[in-house]
Amino acid sequence: MDIRVLNVSKSFDQKQVIRDITFTIPNGEICCLLGPSGSGKTTLIRLMIGAIAADQGTVHFDEIKIPDISMLKKIGFMPQNDALYEDLSAEGNLKFFGGLYHINKQKLEKRMEEVLAIVELTEHRKKLVKNFSGGMKKRLSLAAAILHSPEILFLDEPTVGIDPLLRRKIWDQFHEFKHSGTTIIVSTHVMDEVTECDKAALIYNGSLIEYGTVPNLLNKTQNGRVEELFLNASRESKGGAVQ
Amino acid sequence: MIHLAKRVIRQTLNDKRSIMMILVAPLLILTLVYFLLGDSNYVPTVGVNKDTVPDSLVTALEEQDLTIKDLTAKEVQDAKGYLNDHQEFDAILNLSQDSGTTIILYEPSTKGTKAANEIQTAMASLNPAAKVNMNFVHGSQDQSTFDSLGYVFLALFSFFLVFIISGMALVRERSGGTLERLLMTPIKRGEVILGYTAGYSVFAVVQAIFIVLYSVFVLQLSSAGNIGWVLLTMVLLAVTAVSFGAAISIFASSELQVVQMIPFTIIPQVFFSGLIPLDLIPYHLGNLSYIMPIYYGAEAIKGIMVYGDGFFDIWGYLLGLAAYAFLLYMINTQALKKFRQI
Repeated sequence: MDIRVLNVSKSFDQKQVIRDITFTIPNGEICCLLGPSGSGKTTLIRLMIGAIAADQGTVHFDEIKIPDISMLKKIGFMPQNDALYEDLSAEGNLKFFGGLYHINKQKLEKRMEEVLAIVELTEHRKKLVKNFSGGMKKRLSLAAAILHSPEILFLDEPTVGIDPLLRRKIWDQFHEFKHSGTTIIVSTHVMDEVTECDKAALIYNGSLIEYGTVPNLLNKTQNGRVEELFLNASRESKGGAVQ
Repeated sequence: MIHLAKRVIRQTLNDKRSIMMILVAPLLILTLVYFLLGDSNYVPTVGVNKDTVPDSLVTALEEQDLTIKDLTAKEVQDAKGYLNDHQEFDAILNLSQDSGTTIILYEPSTKGTKAANEIQTAMASLNPAAKVNMNFVHGSQDQSTFDSLGYVFLALFSFFLVFIISGMALVRERSGGTLERLLMTPIKRGEVILGYTAGYSVFAVVQAIFIVLYSVFVLQLSSAGNIGWVLLTMVLLAVTAVSFGAAISIFASSELQVVQMIPFTIIPQVFFSGLIPLDLIPYHLGNLSYIMPIYYGAEAIKGIMVYGDGFFDIWGYLLGLAAYAFLLYMINTQALKKFRQI
């Protein structure tokens, strides 16, 4: 499904957090939302999945306007905080989320095995989440997001607090999802991760400053590092303030 | 919905503190209340000057539950000063030709009242014509406070503890982000509230059974009516409490804030639950009770336990509770729109 974001703006308490963003993510690509913390990445994701309503503008998945209840079973969402039930075991959490998607018992059991293996938590499946380390929670949260094999996957900072080895594995996994046709939107403030993606949307102060394929974006820089584009944007906005 | 209810149950079972709070805490508090409000068998001490009091009255006083101590005429004259210095005395009885009978009490406390009552009974026994016999339509004269007010505590516990636990759990769900995640699945908003209510109702039923059986069979709280109806009322009250907790959690962003709101949410309900007779509250403030869910529960339980009412006498209160729960359900479902419009 293509994701079309059209002229979306959002304010919280008079403060504009998202400023007139328009872009389209084509089906089956990995698109990263890149920006410093506080730039509005999480808000943009929440607007895209329909968790909050835009003040202006619309979001469409193909022809369907968001929010739409039938779309919810096609999307997977991994929030920035872990959003897990601490008093339940890893298995308990997955069973619960699986149940909400009405996955039948045998299928869910099989799928749980699969996702636990992907995030390497199989041996901890009976442990209560409150006894998990930060990285383990992050992985379980990812497992819960991919449990129902969504067509579109929204990941808010999925690799924060995960060691480089596992981070590599998780990115390989994302590429595998992509090959099976999943569209992935991933937010990150780690500039290096941009090379893993097909497209990148650079968000600065709630505005989309650049959007395009990663090679194109890198071509616009002199040293081949995407930070440069942010530095330019910050210089411009400061220049604007003087005028 | 069923998955959510199952999750709430599993989650609560894994949290030992919640289980203790639901099942053990009410029994503990009830036991405490039983001893605090129960019969104390306290024997007040009364001082008299036996020389000025007729022997027949002294004998009558000694027959009552009183300890009689002889005082000098001078000590009785300065009764207030003497009571101040001798705290073990609860009252001094002074008979004199010119001022009649005077009872001087240390302070208007329950102890003093008991002393005064015993003295009056003693005096009445000498003059049968002045004896007043009291008969009650419901209950009897020698009922302890626990017998006559115990029902209020049944209502209070089933409401308060379930309210705290469900309110906290929902706030945690909001602040922890699980609510947002939950609402990004195809679950309906109404199902979220229903699932929560169903999950906690299971504990509410168990809690109600525990409390009722314990208070009736262990603490010997007398019930004129069928305790089955008490159970039904308590479960209904607890279901309302879950919705009430959920509604309060809309206005709280952390568990601490739920606690901070207790003075506005729970404490007024305690006063209007029947601890203070509503007819005695001035300026018709007693009518405020109609907006308090606990009133309906407490009145129904009172009807059953004190008046021996059956279902057809209390159905109005039960309907009140059900209407309250339904109203809160609608509010809660609307409130979830903040997290998802559809």
